[in-house]
Amino acid sequence: MTEVLLVAMLASPVIGAGLLALPLSARASRRLNAVLAVAVAAASGAVAVVELTQIGEPLRGSWYAIDPAGAVFLLVIAAVGLMSALASPAYLTGDASGFFAGRRARSAYYAALYLFWAALLALAAVDNLAVAWLLVEATTAASALLVAFSGRAQALEAGWKYLVLTTLGLAVALLGIIVLYAGIAEDGASIAALDWARVHAAAAGIDHTTAVAAVVLLLGGLAAKVGWAPVHNWLPDAHSEAPPPVSALLSAALLPTVMLIAWRVEAALRPATGGAGSGLLLGFGLLSLAVAIPFLWRALPLKRLLAYSSLEHMGILALGIGFVHPIATAGVVLHVAGHALAKSLGFYATISLLRADPRLARRAPRGLVATSRGAAGALTVSLGSLSGLPPSPLFFSEVLILLGGLAAGETAVVVVAAVMLGLGFLGLAHALIEGVVTDAPSRRRPAVPGERRLKLLTAVVAGGLLGLSATVWALPGSRLIADLMGVLG
Amino acid sequence: MSPEVLWALVALGFAVVAVRRRTLGIALLAGQSLLLGALAIAHAEGAPGELALAVVILLARGVVLPGLLLWVVRGTREPRRVASERFVLHRLVVAVGAVAVAAALVPALPLDDPGAEHVVIALLVQGIVIAAVRRAVVFQAVGFLVAENGVYLAGLTVAGGVPGALELALLFDLLAVLAVAAAFGSRIHERFGSSDTGLLRGLRD
Repeated sequence: MTEVLLVAMLASPVIGAGLLALPLSARASRRLNAVLAVAVAAASGAVAVVELTQIGEPLRGSWYAIDPAGAVFLLVIAAVGLMSALASPAYLTGDASGFFAGRRARSAYYAALYLFWAALLALAAVDNLAVAWLLVEATTAASALLVAFSGRAQALEAGWKYLVLTTLGLAVALLGIIVLYAGIAEDGASIAALDWARVHAAAAGIDHTTAVAAVVLLLGGLAAKVGWAPVHNWLPDAHSEAPPPVSALLSAALLPTVMLIAWRVEAALRPATGGAGSGLLLGFGLLSLAVAIPFLWRALPLKRLLAYSSLEHMGILALGIGFVHPIATAGVVLHVAGHALAKSLGFYATISLLRADPRLARRAPRGLVATSRGAAGALTVSLGSLSGLPPSPLFFSEVLILLGGLAAGETAVVVVAAVMLGLGFLGLAHALIEGVVTDAPSRRRPAVPGERRLKLLTAVVAGGLLGLSATVWALPGSRLIADLMGVLG
Repeated sequence: MSPEVLWALVALGFAVVAVRRRTLGIALLAGQSLLLGALAIAHAEGAPGELALAVVILLARGVVLPGLLLWVVRGTREPRRVASERFVLHRLVVAVGAVAVAAALVPALPLDDPGAEHVVIALLVQGIVIAAVRRAVVFQAVGFLVAENGVYLAGLTVAGGVPGALELALLFDLLAVLAVAAAFGSRIHERFGSSDTGLLRGLRD
């Protein structure tokens, strides 16, 4: 039964990509998209719930293994994918493509979106490092086309930069995989030597230098895809130039899911590396915060501000997994989920705003509350949560991560991170006040379309965020965290 | 592996850093890929399955991928020399320096042929440098393929070889990424009238 669900989860977006690539009318593709999006999300959610509610071993088959970490990420990818697919028609009615020929643009968009979604879902479920690498590369091919979808000069620049930097980073990671394979595989071994369980089992016997070389190459290469500083240059550009539903998928689903692969690598090789991997993650974390925070203080266009916020949050997550402590791990789980909801809402709000005033793509907003209460509400929830304002789940997750760091004995790192998080909070709070509340210039602005839907989405996401905040009391010490530490601790 | 072949692989990489014409750069890449393919065929002697795989990979890396890049060049004629690419000596100094630093810093890798380890790193670094210092879209794609050639050489030097399924999957991945890069090359040329990525400077904070 589980295997059937799993096949449905992976096959439905691929079939959906094929169907939506057909030359359908706008109305037909909108309806088909809605049906397919719900089906994919339902199948993915069902697989995740089966894993999270059963006690004991992960769901395991010949080609997949879904452990608690995979299940949590499947839920996040399903939720963000569903929202992005449902938000896409609103974007497509307002922005024509210049990358694809006019008549094919909509079908090309949907085909790439669903293939991107399929690769992300498979990434959370796959049981093998080499296959995971291939899927990460597949996300690049599909999402680079989506980043450049508008065909504008800046979008081409962002898409090209994303393609070149991430593929070069992944080439470095691939060398890490080959070094690891050379270190653990016997003569004539198959690709199964790179199954996560086998890598875990073989780790204790790997030569220390080989393990360190492999973990440095793998984490360094994957960092380019996660967007950790100093190899983050593509991130602000791609997130700000992509269609907003794609920006949401990139920021809320892709980055954390690739981070999950980095987390698995670090955890699997930890017995042989003597903490070199976690040290590297702490370095990426602090550097990402240091690079991101000055930009949170600047008057940037909304999507660019959200992009730099992604860099900040990937830095926080790197710290959380680098501390290697159950309390920090609880914080990471909460942070991934809370960041996904809050960041997606922020990007979806920009769809309506940019349709009403395209100049907001290039300048910071002011006084949105006078223009659109719906967009102002959505951005208040989004930016307020992302800044870590209580009762946002990101406030609690950041506290958990810092407490985990203290418990792990990383006091100096925690102090530096706490100062930077405080500055980041002030920067985003300032952007929120300037963008939403401060009086706008007195000239008349055009009406913002899709207000009602945005208000409804804001209410749903706000409810979800509060629900996540409520779990903070139960999460540390829970079976989920114990299971996660069993796999990744 | 003979030192002469390994030096030839490195020399071809440096030549890609230096040459002006895109077609020449592609030809040098094809030469490097064919040389690696010949090494793979020599390794696979006596194993029919591995031999067939090596031939497929040689054709794909040495003929199909360079052919795809040549097709992009045909569709994106440059009206004049790419302005930001005039300083050959600077490029070579950066490339030689980066390769020397990487060779000195990277520890010994557990590959079967210690002599090839430095060449693996050299090709990987050359690829990254080519993508960083060359401005034409095609050269940046060539840089990615030079880096991939370094990784392929690493696979050839692993005792017992890398699983065939993995090699085929990597090949498919290379084709997919190159196809996307080709699409970008065409669109960038349409938009700017040149495939000089030095013109892509609209996104600055």
